Amino acid sequence: MLKKTHIQKYCSIKNNEISVNGDLVFSADTLEVKDFFKDVYQFLEIKYSKYFKMDLLSKLAFLSAEIILNEVNTKEKNTAIILSNNASSLETDRKYQNSINDKDNYFPSPAVFVYTLPNIGIGEISIRHQLKSENGFFVFEKYNANFHYNYEKSLLQNNKCESVLAGWVNIDKNSYEAFLYLVSEKGIIEHTEQNLKQLYNT
Amino acid sequence: MVKGIAITGMGIISSIGNTVEENYKSLTNITPGISEIENIKTNHKSHIKVGEVKMSNHNLAVCLKLPKNHNYSRTALFGEIAAKQAVKNAKIKDINSCRTGLISATSVGGMDLTEKYFYSQFQETKNRRFITSHSAGDSSTKIANSLGITDFVSTISTACSSAANAIMLGARMIKAGKLDRVIVGGSDCMSKFTINGFKTLMILSETNCRPFDANRTGLNLGEAAAFLVLESDECVKKENKKVLAYVSGYANANDAFHQTASSKNGEGATLAMKKALKVANLSFKEIDYINAHGTATENNDASESAAICSVFGKNIPSISSTKAFTGHTLAAAAAIEAVYSVLALQNNMVFPNLNFETPIAETNIIPETKLVQKELNHVLSNSFGFGGNCSTLIFSKA
Repeated sequence: MLKKTHIQKYCSIKNNEISVNGDLVFSADTLEVKDFFKDVYQFLEIKYSKYFKMDLLSKLAFLSAEIILNEVNTKEKNTAIILSNNASSLETDRKYQNSINDKDNYFPSPAVFVYTLPNIGIGEISIRHQLKSENGFFVFEKYNANFHYNYEKSLLQNNKCESVLAGWVNIDKNSYEAFLYLVSEKGIIEHTEQNLKQLYNT
Repeated sequence: MVKGIAITGMGIISSIGNTVEENYKSLTNITPGISEIENIKTNHKSHIKVGEVKMSNHNLAVCLKLPKNHNYSRTALFGEIAAKQAVKNAKIKDINSCRTGLISATSVGGMDLTEKYFYSQFQETKNRRFITSHSAGDSSTKIANSLGITDFVSTISTACSSAANAIMLGARMIKAGKLDRVIVGGSDCMSKFTINGFKTLMILSETNCRPFDANRTGLNLGEAAAFLVLESDECVKKENKKVLAYVSGYANANDAFHQTASSKNGEGATLAMKKALKVANLSFKEIDYINAHGTATENNDASESAAICSVFGKNIPSISSTKAFTGHTLAAAAAIEAVYSVLALQNNMVFPNLNFETPIAETNIIPETKLVQKELNHVLSNSFGFGGNCSTLIFSKA
């Protein structure tokens, strides 16, 4: 029998604002992306030293995941992670390439290099929440509700996991956007392509 | 009933031989292939030992009868040689007699050519053709074209567990009925990129590597390719194929520990082994031999030993790493060791773990140091990649 799956919780981080389940919970006037992320880190009262070495994409993925998973006991849960974006890890790729191009200050750092893949953000979430689960990172032109819905449904229906942390985490130059949600059997919003589309667009 | 996906053919080229037979002879005569590097000019020459195939690109190309103006990377040359052997060994007459795929693993790809020709390509336009061979998919495409495979071609690059994941994907695609036959394996040549990269990580040994030894000093890089032909039961029945062994279990798990290092307690490795046993429907007590990843780095051997102890407890079966024969052949390693696992099953032979003297105090694992003849029914083979990409395959007697 098919399981009834729901969007248990969702959040979005964009335009210097955070909303959770549709309610605005935080906003700031900062101009720089990295400063805004710092404000968010402080607002969420996180104490996690590994955060400071992450690149911006991982930081955004990490912060959104903190919001979604803060009340969920992931230790007992088999939570899969399916993320997507448009710019892959381009922001960090550029930074790394510039460090190679800079003849006066040539220092391609391994600490930057490890972040030149978008799925490292999934790794950071997995390390933080000790998730040894199914995961995948996909690159699309824009948030693909149809793909996400099918992938998430398939994981849950085939008992590959008990819940899925999924969504869109994108950062490119000074623009960023995160839309993350948790799909499981709990909750009231039905997990449908239409609902994902609608929540993403609001 | 333990069966699985049938293996009907194998091919290999490594530093201990250019065929399956030559590799078997070197393993049983205890003739390791670790030497000083000759094919690549490097400042590290006197500070490293490698598992190098002592054939020039020219001679490899002659073996494949390639035209003079070819743009094959050394990875593609090895790969095509090993894949063709495997197809021949499986006695496939018409590659398109059923839905056939190729899943090939590599981490180096065409880096060897890019290193040579990147700067000169701008002036010498004839060198540009080599740059187009850079991507990891290039060698897979070349191998697929040479074999006439069109149904499914894919490349897997998950560092040192790549070939294990290629074999696993192939087995799963046959199980799911997506393919009837699939050629799976991997190929990696040596390059400055990997030599310098691993040197920077300070995990290259100046001497012959010593897997599982308390005083191990790091790994020897190697280069090689190996491929296996997997076929569905229907194919085997229809053509009355000889089955060499079965892929009975497979699993991949992550460590959730660090971007590059493996966790000290080997959690990902433990999970991979346990899941593979579950897929094979076997108890750990039924494993007769572990062909370990055993790279001889501080991190891997400690982590893998801890994982083996937590899966097998006090009942650890015969165990050895064959890396001291071949060096660590990165993305190809799991395919090389899949061939060795099948040879072990076919000949009831455990290959020795060379250069071992002192066990690691914490785990006290003592590998087989001599060639051991004993009845083998199930062999478990580990391959672990950077970032805690941990894979385990289980091979069972035909």
